[in-house]
Amino acid sequence: MKIFSATGKIVVFIIILGLVSLMGYAIFGNRVSVKTSPLIGQQAPPFTLKTFDGKELKLSDLEGKIVLLNFWASWCMPCRQEAGALETSWQKYKDKDVVFVGVNVWDENSNALKYLTNFGGGYPHALDPDEEIQINYGVGGVPETFFIDSSGNVRDKFTGPLTEQIIDYFVLKAKQPQEDKS
Amino acid sequence: MINFSIKNNPILYSIFIIALFVSFQSQSLSNQEKSIDDQTKEISYLLMCPVCQGQSVGESNSNLAHDMRDIIRKQLEAGRSKEEVLAYFVNSYGESILASPPPKGINWLLWLLPGVGIIIGGIGITLFLFKAQREDKNEDSQESNTQPKMDNEYIKRIEEELEDSDS
Repeated sequence: MKIFSATGKIVVFIIILGLVSLMGYAIFGNRVSVKTSPLIGQQAPPFTLKTFDGKELKLSDLEGKIVLLNFWASWCMPCRQEAGALETSWQKYKDKDVVFVGVNVWDENSNALKYLTNFGGGYPHALDPDEEIQINYGVGGVPETFFIDSSGNVRDKFTGPLTEQIIDYFVLKAKQPQEDKS
Repeated sequence: MINFSIKNNPILYSIFIIALFVSFQSQSLSNQEKSIDDQTKEISYLLMCPVCQGQSVGESNSNLAHDMRDIIRKQLEAGRSKEEVLAYFVNSYGESILASPPPKGINWLLWLLPGVGIIIGGIGITLFLFKAQREDKNEDSQESNTQPKMDNEYIKRIEEELEDSDS
């Protein structure tokens, strides 16, 4: 039994070809342009944090410096894993206009203080009293780290535990002029 | 006789007016509260929880979903519209935060393909059934054309044999 005429066969062939092309694009399409955060290339959301030693820390006060904004929690094991690398890198960059800021999220204050005693390092750690900074930055879990350049633009986001090499890579990248703001 | 008519009693009348006013005010506040609750719930089901497996913000009990619901409520209370609240989350998390992709750009395919698939499938099945029915009819008509011819030959032969037997 003949189901499709010659024209019908061509239409079916075109439809199948279209679907296969779509699948091919989905599998092998250009992934280089996929961003880890929609904030990359955009002005960093402003924040006013309260440090664990009671000071106010504003992003606007850090203008002209590269900011490494690291989100952590005391219950987060990968955060402990990256603590050493963060401290070593902070020692390396603290006099080079690179500011490290730790932001404690989804945590109990007492647990956070205990964590800081063991893993805190020398750079400032803070809380957002309004608990909004994690949503403003699109944080989905911890640890997540944002690299903000001296103009206040988010340059990169890294999800997972940092190493010294990763920090070097992103700090150097943030020092380079921004190529594409799109 | 004591007159209990409210209109004739200024004190009762005042109390009645105040009670009515308070009742309206509380009713209005309650409606507003309910409205923000409903809107928060509605928006929370339009957003996917970024740390959960296939759960919306409305369904999830994670800390993040809890924070997100609080922010939805705060923004609604601040007078932001549903679209503005959704845009805020898209700006932070990207379009993948939305439970259903917005119908624009290549996303149109996601909205159109199921419908197109159903239409093409329907046309295919209709064509198949139509052709199958037509072929059945052809076969039937071929059979009905050959039947009388065979019957005639058979009758003719019987008649001939009968004649032969008579003779």
